[in-house]
Amino acid sequence: MSESLRDKVAVIGVGCTKFGDNFDASYEDMVVEAAFAAMADAGVEPERIEAAWLGSYSPYGGNGKASVSLADAIRLYDRPITRVENYCATGTDAFRNAAMAVAAGACDVALVVGAEKLKDRPVRGLARDAAHPYKGDGLTAPGMMAMAANRYFHRFSIGRETLAKVAVKNHHNGSLNPKAHFRMEVTEEQVLKAPIIAWPYGLLDCCPTTDGAAAAVICRAGMAHEFRQDPVLVRGLGLAVKTGRPWYDPCDDHVGFPATGEAARAAYRMAGIANPVGEIDLAEVHDCFTWPEITHYEDLGFCPKGAGAAFIAEGRSALTGDLPVNPSGGLKSFGHPIGATGVRMIYEIVTQLRGEAGPRQVRGAATGLVHNLGGPGAVACVVILSRN
Amino acid sequence: MDTLGIIGYSAYVPRWRVARKLLGDAWGAPAPAGTKAVGNFDEDALTMAQAAAWPLVASGFRPDALYFASTTAPFWQRSPASLLAAHCDLPPVLATADFGGSQRCGTAALRAALDSVSCGRSVLVAVADTRDGKPESAEEMLFGDGAAAVALGARNVVAEIEGWASRAGDFLDEWRRDIDPHVHSFTSKFSATRGYVESVTAAARELLEAAGVPPGAISRVVLASPDGRVHQEAARALGISPERVEDPRVGEWGVTGCAMPLLLMARALDQASPGDLILMAGYGEGADALLWRVTDEIRRRPRPLVSPEALTLEYPSYPVWAKLRHGLRDAATADEMSNVFWQREESQNVRLHGTFCPQCGRLQFPITRVCGVCRGRDGLTEKPLPRTGSVFTFTKDYLYEALRQPTVMTVVELEGGTRFLCQMTDCDPERVEIGMKVELVLRRLREGASLHHYYWKCRPL
Repeated sequence: MSESLRDKVAVIGVGCTKFGDNFDASYEDMVVEAAFAAMADAGVEPERIEAAWLGSYSPYGGNGKASVSLADAIRLYDRPITRVENYCATGTDAFRNAAMAVAAGACDVALVVGAEKLKDRPVRGLARDAAHPYKGDGLTAPGMMAMAANRYFHRFSIGRETLAKVAVKNHHNGSLNPKAHFRMEVTEEQVLKAPIIAWPYGLLDCCPTTDGAAAAVICRAGMAHEFRQDPVLVRGLGLAVKTGRPWYDPCDDHVGFPATGEAARAAYRMAGIANPVGEIDLAEVHDCFTWPEITHYEDLGFCPKGAGAAFIAEGRSALTGDLPVNPSGGLKSFGHPIGATGVRMIYEIVTQLRGEAGPRQVRGAATGLVHNLGGPGAVACVVILSRN
Repeated sequence: MDTLGIIGYSAYVPRWRVARKLLGDAWGAPAPAGTKAVGNFDEDALTMAQAAAWPLVASGFRPDALYFASTTAPFWQRSPASLLAAHCDLPPVLATADFGGSQRCGTAALRAALDSVSCGRSVLVAVADTRDGKPESAEEMLFGDGAAAVALGARNVVAEIEGWASRAGDFLDEWRRDIDPHVHSFTSKFSATRGYVESVTAAARELLEAAGVPPGAISRVVLASPDGRVHQEAARALGISPERVEDPRVGEWGVTGCAMPLLLMARALDQASPGDLILMAGYGEGADALLWRVTDEIRRRPRPLVSPEALTLEYPSYPVWAKLRHGLRDAATADEMSNVFWQREESQNVRLHGTFCPQCGRLQFPITRVCGVCRGRDGLTEKPLPRTGSVFTFTKDYLYEALRQPTVMTVVELEGGTRFLCQMTDCDPERVEIGMKVELVLRRLREGASLHHYYWKCRPL
């Protein structure tokens, strides 16, 4: 059995740009803003950073590829930097790699940056980078997540009305968040009447295409108090990989994301969590579309398989519920610059655990969960953070 | 002497129809009644020929040669016959040839095939045409798309060749230069009588005399018809009564180009009885006449093959059809293709092979080195995928930049449990549902940078 990382790493600083159509900000501008904000929050100078990890999914225009995309932006040279890419779980996986290095004693203080500049591309949505020229042609990000939703609809007899509740909740939370891409409330009727993007998803069931960057400074837990009085500890970490081509898997039932279950079990085991609903105070989960949030409740163990619809309908995941999910507004409302999202979720949970989340503050937040999902449910990463 | 002739036949008429009234309304002109059959935007002469030929290959026919005929082949250079062979998963020990250049190329391929058959070789002949008439022309009203395939050999012959005769010589009534997208024509009484009727009847008379068959003994005539009418004049001139003339279905399918004689032959064979004599003729700068005698083997015919009326879809308007007709070409979006990649993945992408795992008995796609179900690595073999199954799940996608939205994307569960991801085509998106029965079909997927790209889609059965 490998050694547990539990409570060996602390988050001492976080930073995040405004998410949105950042037409006037370049990739480098956003990296600079988020990285220096996190360092300022931690009270460390760049010289204290011993190693860094950059999460970026889709390079474009010379940005986002390799370590230099971070090094040249903030002029951080002469130390190890690694670029991480793991589908939409890129941000949390960058964080996870940095945490493992700190826990292993390879460095004391490390910087994690996630960044993505999507609104200067010549395509709608995400480009099909490096895709097979034939297999899967016609598949888009919403289409991929819609095929699973339709199978789930078939199996559990729910409809678009249930999905709309997720959009309404997350838009409400986003309306309270000054850094969110969308700050407007939506009604169930608006969600249901929005033009269809990929059945069953209408426009308001989809997260936007967003620009943004987020950063975190982490250190060895034992030295965290040198930097601040309220460090947040990394209590659990889990990452699981399943097939990246589930549609060819003859055993895949398409009614959830098994990678999420695996990653969550690993993180709960490390964190010593036996009863997620009772022990987790809030969660940031990967609501790239509305239906995935429903299945995440189930795959993360908040409720049994098939009970996700009731979980949202009963208000349990609302800001005032017993397990608020996506108090930030989620990908749905906060936006989803791929590589930035996981780090942005850590930013949100740290902000909440410190009690600094303003009108969207979850009262008494002591333990929070971050969940990133990548590809067609292929990669899931779960991070459990706790107040010291 | 062996009995030589047709041992199997198949036809393909695309599901889509354009009502001629749409064309008439578009141009403010009177329009003949009926429809024409037209390929979907993702079809061309190669995909239609594959659709016609595949049932023969699937039934176990392994020809020594494959002949492809079309005046609208998708490549000038890059043998469509060889492409067709690969997409029919035929082994490389095969003689192929491409026929074109004339509306008579379908029957020309048939003649050449019969020569090969008489030398002891079996041949698969596939014929398809997708001709365009100029906008606002009579040809635009008339021309339809279609394909047919016949298997020829010496065993289990359903229609024995009694003989054939040909006439050849230049005649200026329909043509298309190397630089022309549309067919030009002189439609006139002169073209009808001195071109079509004279050539067809001369070839037919020569054949019937040589065979010692009086016109009254002919059970059925299958004649290429450039306009849906003039073939009746030729039959009359030959002394064959009108009820014995196979209706060329121009009112439903249009003039299906070089595929017409073989397409109508398939229809005639669907209705034929043992002993029937069928006279076939192809026309274009001369004529080919072929005489067939139906054998007892026709009783083994499982069911009528040519029943494309079952599932038709109508284009809603002329602009929609006009946009889609060459829409792929006009919106070339594919990247340059590596020929190394193409070649290495041929068995998977073109031949549609998956991997069979002897440990767990699963056939999986794509080709894999380690079984995705039981992780076995020993004894994995390549096997062709089944071509029918049902929709496991789907979406209707409006984000994908398709010529016609939505793009219906499906996970298909093929017979035996293999799952396959592909677009659905030839469907009404409103009627797509989990569990619906589908078949895999070859379609043109994309265009560009300098290639047509083909891949598999599913369509409702």
